[in-house]
Amino acid sequence: MNRGYYWLIVGLSIPAFLWLVPTIWMVSLSFQPNEVLARTTSTTAFGLIPLPFTAENYAALFAFGQTPWWFLNSVIVSLGMTLGVLAVSTTAGYALARLEFPFKTAVTIICLIGLMVPEQAVFIPLYTMFADFGWHNSYHALILPRMAVPIGVFLMMQFFRGIPKDIEEAARLDGVGWLRIFWYVMLPLARPAMMTLAILTFLYAWNDYLWPLVSAQQREYFTITLGLASIQSNFAQSEGLGRVMASGVIASLPVVILFLIFQRYVVKAMTVGGSKG
Amino acid sequence: MREGRKGALSQTQAALVLLAPFLVTYALFLVYPFFRGVWISLHDWNLLAVAFNPDAKEFIGFRNYERVMWGRNIEWGLFAAPFWQGLGLIGLALSFALPMAGRLRRFNALALGIASLLLVILLGFHPGEEGRWYDRRFWPTVGNTILFVGWTVPGVTISALVLAAAMNRETRTMDVLRTLFFLSQVLSVTVVTLIWQIMFSPRQGLIANITEVFGGTPINWLTDDQFAMAAIVIATIWWSLGIAMILFLAGLQDISKDIYEAAALDNARGAKAFWYVTLPNLKRTITLVVVLQIILHFQVFGQSHLMTQGGPNDTTQAQGGPNDTTQVLVRYIYQTGFRDSELGRASAMAVFLFVIMGTFSVIQFVVGREKT
Repeated sequence: MNRGYYWLIVGLSIPAFLWLVPTIWMVSLSFQPNEVLARTTSTTAFGLIPLPFTAENYAALFAFGQTPWWFLNSVIVSLGMTLGVLAVSTTAGYALARLEFPFKTAVTIICLIGLMVPEQAVFIPLYTMFADFGWHNSYHALILPRMAVPIGVFLMMQFFRGIPKDIEEAARLDGVGWLRIFWYVMLPLARPAMMTLAILTFLYAWNDYLWPLVSAQQREYFTITLGLASIQSNFAQSEGLGRVMASGVIASLPVVILFLIFQRYVVKAMTVGGSKG
Repeated sequence: MREGRKGALSQTQAALVLLAPFLVTYALFLVYPFFRGVWISLHDWNLLAVAFNPDAKEFIGFRNYERVMWGRNIEWGLFAAPFWQGLGLIGLALSFALPMAGRLRRFNALALGIASLLLVILLGFHPGEEGRWYDRRFWPTVGNTILFVGWTVPGVTISALVLAAAMNRETRTMDVLRTLFFLSQVLSVTVVTLIWQIMFSPRQGLIANITEVFGGTPINWLTDDQFAMAAIVIATIWWSLGIAMILFLAGLQDISKDIYEAAALDNARGAKAFWYVTLPNLKRTITLVVVLQIILHFQVFGQSHLMTQGGPNDTTQAQGGPNDTTQVLVRYIYQTGFRDSELGRASAMAVFLFVIMGTFSVIQFVVGREKT
């Protein structure tokens, strides 16, 4: 490695550190006592180092307040949505990619044209629909709308198209039915693509704000993302800065851990998701 | 191909079984709501009134669109917005002149021409004497949204491009650095606004704390007309740089090392190589990233809703006025629908949003398909 490379590293470290500062600050504030934060937020190194240190904010968070409950809601909704999206997307993706049936091109176009419709363009009619059904303030109300978004179908279709045909044909010659081929041959092959789709959906579910804001009006059905929004406007009076920041850290923990473990998939998922959904 | 064993489904039947779950949810929760949204936009539809009595809506045709986008005594003139219309005229002239001089491909010239023409025509509308827009807030809100996109997209694109070019090496250190830049991308919008609300706070904020040490007066970012928009743009750039960076890195991988070596022989290294080799070869990726981000950021909601409440002056009840510098389209739709209960008008705006997003989706599709 030459000297230019080291200078580049040094040059990049500065913006990288600056980029990290807001996150560090949140974590650091969450470990400082509320009484101190009420006076000043820059006790040690502009508050970037949590001294005086306390874990009380986290203890308080789990002792009272609704954060653990919201967290649980988010887990349920995110996992439910992930499973639902995987189920409808792998099946439909396979059918569109590998099976022959009448009007196939038309069906494919109809399925994928929905990619053009943003969530913001349908959230009002969805709201009135779910209100008519009396479905608001429930888990399925938070889960179902995303299952209709064709991004997963698109992803799985692209993937299945890339699998060589002879695997399937060998099974066909042995007289295996299409559904069995899908279940026993194709699905195991599709694991990487399913992983990408699962992560994409989970991140979306965990971080979604607009639809839960409209649909979940009772605090018991808030997701953590929504709950965090509801406490951040009046933190000063109610809970104290440290505790709100602790909620923020708790809300971010699952996605950050997911990111650090499955970095490759997360990056892939977010690129596909960003570019198509 | 032989039919499967007895009793097994035919190919068409299997396809039907496999497609059914998606098609049902798709029809119910996306296709139907979409058309229902258009239908609602043609009605005088009050959320609360209709909730009590389903017949309390009235079909009024395109009146909602008129109420939202039109006004009394609206006139068209070439000098309504001289700067932008002038810019449009220049663009229009260039779209004819450049292809003739062989400096621009026909497709790009067409795009430039259409965009310029729209600029000249759309910005020419203005209320005449004694006239006014029926909805004084709609167009300023659209303007704010465009302004937000206009700051955020170049901000993200340029910084992501520079970072990606600098980090385009397969080493461990670079891996770590890329991870650091990407990390904020996985956070939710409410975490991002939580962090930046406090960062920008004039009393408790990190930025204020640092400026004070250097003897500056803290800026009241989120409640100051001039800085509110800047604040949400900064937070958004911090949040969404990652995807753009990753897309650029992927694009950079496709540029062959030979080109750089050849360029190095001609003494083009570093910044020079970036300008003469990287940029021209990355044109398509850049276009794609820009279009993608326009779509993404035009839908901005959380940052405005949570950090500035559309304000600075929109805090309690939306009076509307020149000071709502961060009121954006999706937030206006949300408020019109769920605070003012005007679902019909809100739906008309949602259809407007869809048309814009749809246009850019088509552009994205065309650019994505284009082979170069």
